[in-house]
Amino acid sequence: MPLDHRRLQGPDESQPPALWAGEGSGPRDPCALRPLFARAGLLSQAEGSAYVELSGGTKVLCAAWGPREAAEPGGGTAGGGGGGGGGRLVCEFRRAPFSSRGARPRPGGAAEREAEREAAAALREALEPAVRLARYPRARLAVSALLLQDGGSALAAAVSAASLALADAGVEMYDLAVGCALCRDPGHPSGAWLLQPGEAEERRAAARLTLALLPALNQVSAVLGGGRGGDPESWGEALRLGLDGCHRLYPVLRQSLLRAVKRRDAAHTPPGS
Amino acid sequence: MATAFKTVEPLEYYRRFLKENCRPDGRELGEFRATTVNIGSITTADGSALVKLGNTTVICGVKAEVAAPAVDSANKGYIVPNVELPSLCSTRFRSGPPGEEAQAASQFIADVIENSQIIAKEDLCIANGKLAWVLYCDIICLDYDGNILDASVFALLAALKNVQLPSVTINEETGLSEVNLKQKNPLVIRKHPVATSFAIFDDTLLIVDPTAEEEDLATGTVTVVTDEEDRLCSVHKPGGSPLTGAKLQDCITRAITRHKEVKKLIDKVTKSIKPN
Repeated sequence: MPLDHRRLQGPDESQPPALWAGEGSGPRDPCALRPLFARAGLLSQAEGSAYVELSGGTKVLCAAWGPREAAEPGGGTAGGGGGGGGGRLVCEFRRAPFSSRGARPRPGGAAEREAEREAAAALREALEPAVRLARYPRARLAVSALLLQDGGSALAAAVSAASLALADAGVEMYDLAVGCALCRDPGHPSGAWLLQPGEAEERRAAARLTLALLPALNQVSAVLGGGRGGDPESWGEALRLGLDGCHRLYPVLRQSLLRAVKRRDAAHTPPGS
Repeated sequence: MATAFKTVEPLEYYRRFLKENCRPDGRELGEFRATTVNIGSITTADGSALVKLGNTTVICGVKAEVAAPAVDSANKGYIVPNVELPSLCSTRFRSGPPGEEAQAASQFIADVIENSQIIAKEDLCIANGKLAWVLYCDIICLDYDGNILDASVFALLAALKNVQLPSVTINEETGLSEVNLKQKNPLVIRKHPVATSFAIFDDTLLIVDPTAEEEDLATGTVTVVTDEEDRLCSVHKPGGSPLTGAKLQDCITRAITRHKEVKKLIDKVTKSIKPN
C-alpha cells in the first residue's frame, strides 16, 4: 500500500479494546420509530444546511450548494451524475473516523473510499428524483453529508438531511425525500422487520432495506436493500412498513424547514420595522 | 449601499471600521467571539468535544485503540492528531485527500501536543514493550469561519479531558490482554495548552480571533499557544508581514489572559458532566 504523506499516521496496526470484551443489548418494540430531531440552516458557510439526529445516536450533518456553472459539462466524476440536459447533482458522503463503534477506519484507505463512494451514489439516487434538475441546465448542485456518529439507519438519516439542506439552499424541488431504514431480525426467520434499526441491530441483521419517499407525491425515489432469504410477501410487508415510517417522519422535517425560514426572516427584517 | 461598498472595496470597508476601533460584526479589536463547548456528545468515540467560536465550529473525536509500542520507544504510546477540512465546511475546500491547509493544521496540532506535553506518552503505556494506547484524535471542521487553530486546540483539549479508557491488563499466565469495559479511567492531562490567534492588518494593527473574511484580508496571522503556568508552548507565524518584538510581546500577554478565560470555561464544562 502506498504511504499517505498527507495524513499523520499512527502505528501500522491497532485494535479497538472492545474486541476482547463481551457486549449485550436489550429487546425493543419492532415498530417503534426513533424520535428524530432536525434543524435546517445552521451552517454559516454553506448555502443550505441541515442536521438530523435520530435518538439512539445517529448524527448527520449536511451542507448543500445551489446551482454553479459546471466545470466540465457532461463529464462524470465520482458521485456525480444526471444528464438529459438538466443539471448535475454531485453528492458526497463522508464518515467521521470516530463515527463507528468498532475500529477506527483509516481515512483515505481503499475500503473506506469504496464505502463512501457507494454511499454517495445511493444518496444521489435517492435525491435526484426530488430535485427539479431540468430547471438547472448545465449547472452543478452539490450536496455534502458528514456522518458524525453512526447509531444505525445512517443512510436514511442522510437522505432526509440532504433533502432538507437542498431545500434550505433554495433549490427547486418537487418534494422532500424522506429516508427510512429497516432490517430483519435474524432471531425471527419468519420475517419480523424492525423499523429504524440501531447500530447493533443493523450489524446482526439478516436483511437490510433503506427507502426514500417523496410523501406529497407519494412516490418512492429509492429502494436499496439486500440480504438473505425472505419470501416476496415479507419484503412487501417491509416496504409497507417503511413507507408508513416515511409518512410519519415527514411532518417533523417540514416543521424544521418552516422554523429555519422563520428564523431567517426574523434575522433579515430589521427590528422595529 | 454598504453591502455594495463592501463587495467592491472590502479592504477599505474594513479600514473604516478599524479606524473607529471596531469591526463590522460589532466586536472591538481585542474581543473574542462567543465561545461554547459541548463535550461527550459523540458516544461512539472514547472522548469528544464540539467547540464553537462564533460561527466557526470544530468537532474532535478521540478513538483509543491498542497497539505494540514502537521499537525505539518501548514505554510510550501514540497520539495521532489529524485535522480535516471537508468540503462541507466551506466552498474553499475540495473533497478528496487533505489539502495544504489541513496538512499544515495537523502538523501544528501535532507540534502543540509534543511541545506542551499535554499528555505524557509514557502514561499511555500498558505493558512495557508489549502494549500501549493509540489515541486517534480526529478534528473535523464543520463550519469554517476563521481561526480554526484556536478552535481545534480547544476541541482537542476538551475531548482529551473527556476520554475514558477501559482498563486493560495483561494476564501473567496466558500473556493475553484482558479488557474490562465497565471500569473506565480518565486520562491524565498534564498541561492545558490554549491557542490564541491574531490577524495582522496593514502590517501593524492586531485583531484577535479573526473571522474567515478578516483572515483573507489580513497581511499575516500569529498563533500563540500558552499553558496554565503562563509558559509558551508554541508561537506560530506562517509568513506574512513582519512584526515588532513589542507587538509580539503584546500578543503573548493577551494569550495569557485568554488562557484563563478558556481554562475557566473548560473547568466549568467538565465539572458539569461529571456523574457525581
